[in-house]
Amino acid sequence: MARWGMVIDLRSCVGCHACTVACATEWDVPAGQARTHVHATPVVGTFPALQSSVFVAQCNHCDRPPCVSACPSGATSQGADGIVRIDRAVCIGCGFCVDACPYDARYLNPKDRKVDKCDFCAARLERGQEPACVATCTAHAKHFGDLEDSQGAVARMVYEQGAGRIESTAAAVGPNVYYAGKPSQLELVHATFQPRASRMPMAGTVWGRLLMPLMLTVVGATFAGQAVAFFNQLRTGEQDFED
Amino acid sequence: MKTSTVPAHPTPLTADQADVMLQRHLKKHHIAIILLHWFNAIVWGLELVTGVALIASPIFRFAPGWYLSMVESAFGTRGHLLQFHLALGLTWIAVYLVYGVFGFRTYLSREVLQNEIALDDDDWRWLVIRTKRILGFTREALPSQGVYNAGQKLFALMVYAMVPLIMITGIIMTFRLMGPAVIGWAVVLHFCAVGAVVSGLLIHVYMGAVFPEEKPAFFSMITGTVNELYAYNHHFKWWTSMKARELAWERRHDEEALPAPEPGIPD
Repeated sequence: MARWGMVIDLRSCVGCHACTVACATEWDVPAGQARTHVHATPVVGTFPALQSSVFVAQCNHCDRPPCVSACPSGATSQGADGIVRIDRAVCIGCGFCVDACPYDARYLNPKDRKVDKCDFCAARLERGQEPACVATCTAHAKHFGDLEDSQGAVARMVYEQGAGRIESTAAAVGPNVYYAGKPSQLELVHATFQPRASRMPMAGTVWGRLLMPLMLTVVGATFAGQAVAFFNQLRTGEQDFED
Repeated sequence: MKTSTVPAHPTPLTADQADVMLQRHLKKHHIAIILLHWFNAIVWGLELVTGVALIASPIFRFAPGWYLSMVESAFGTRGHLLQFHLALGLTWIAVYLVYGVFGFRTYLSREVLQNEIALDDDDWRWLVIRTKRILGFTREALPSQGVYNAGQKLFALMVYAMVPLIMITGIIMTFRLMGPAVIGWAVVLHFCAVGAVVSGLLIHVYMGAVFPEEKPAFFSMITGTVNELYAYNHHFKWWTSMKARELAWERRHDEEALPAPEPGIPD
């Protein structure tokens, strides 16, 4: 099975937002929200040696996605093809995954109050089509393919031409969206758009670290007490209540 | 036990008295309560089986992976599993709303709760002695109890506190109300409230279905009645109140020559 990945060549990207519009149209993304974002770094340096870069962000379908483990209901999962999907029939809108994503690639859809994000256009892939953003990219800056196909363009850009991941020490989660560009450009993008540490809301932290162990202990202790009583009952034998 | 006055304390019975009382039955539960109880039991069983399987996060789940897969497979998809859990939960809430509206004066009014559910000094002593007896530390006699014993009262109080919490948090999650922060806490409170009830349920089920001394209580949830000997030995305060009613009726009957008593009140 393919393991899907994407390479975004920042040298080609012109920041036209066609990818954002194509994605929003394809997936009925509400106004004010996006599955794929186009950002720009600040202009740095001294005239005339100025530099800036466009940066395109979306779900990275990470190797170790924190959103999957944060989702209480199992609505978020990762398939063998590497795509992190949301089963919207199961999402309860708690937002744990939104906080968990180091890249802020998720949003709560105000229409149905469920979480949404890029899924590499999984439905289009099943029809043999490229993701909408890749098909629409005016500068052919987005490349999509199988990371395990050594002859494929994406694998060659990653493993031979040095396209790299945007990671940080706080969030080393193995993103599968790679970036190609000039070294100074990638350095600037890295410095500007470094992923944050994954977060868990207070409710999740209290649940996982305090209340879950507490409740399991209480239920376990009750069960153990019942077991002692039951074995005591077996040991002494049943006495008729009439006595 | 045929008496002209109601005894203040339980006294040892002769074999003949015990045999007569064993044959007589007192009505303890209305058919509506019996049906509600078993509806509740079925709903709780199904909601627990599906609810545990719905906690799938590696951080929060406590059931093994095979259990999650098995339950999910039984429903086809995880979405169907959740839909079933929600639909059954909403049905449960609807039934309890009907019960709350139509049964309020009979079962939930302040007077009923004070007489039947509030714990008195005897109840607290009962809890200590009963626990020691179950664990085999004492054979001390249990203090007299009302229509429900202290364990049943304590469980009822916890259920009264937790069930509204389970319902409200369930509705918040089902309809995704009030934003992610509230929904996040609703998930946590739902889990904790269910956990608290489950710890009580373990005792409730054991005492009702396994513990030999309380077997008549289990069968009373099927027949609606308990034998008078069980009532005398385990719910003496309730037995005395029933007996006082019976004697009062007999006095009126003797005075006014009323027709035969209704079934359920022993003559």
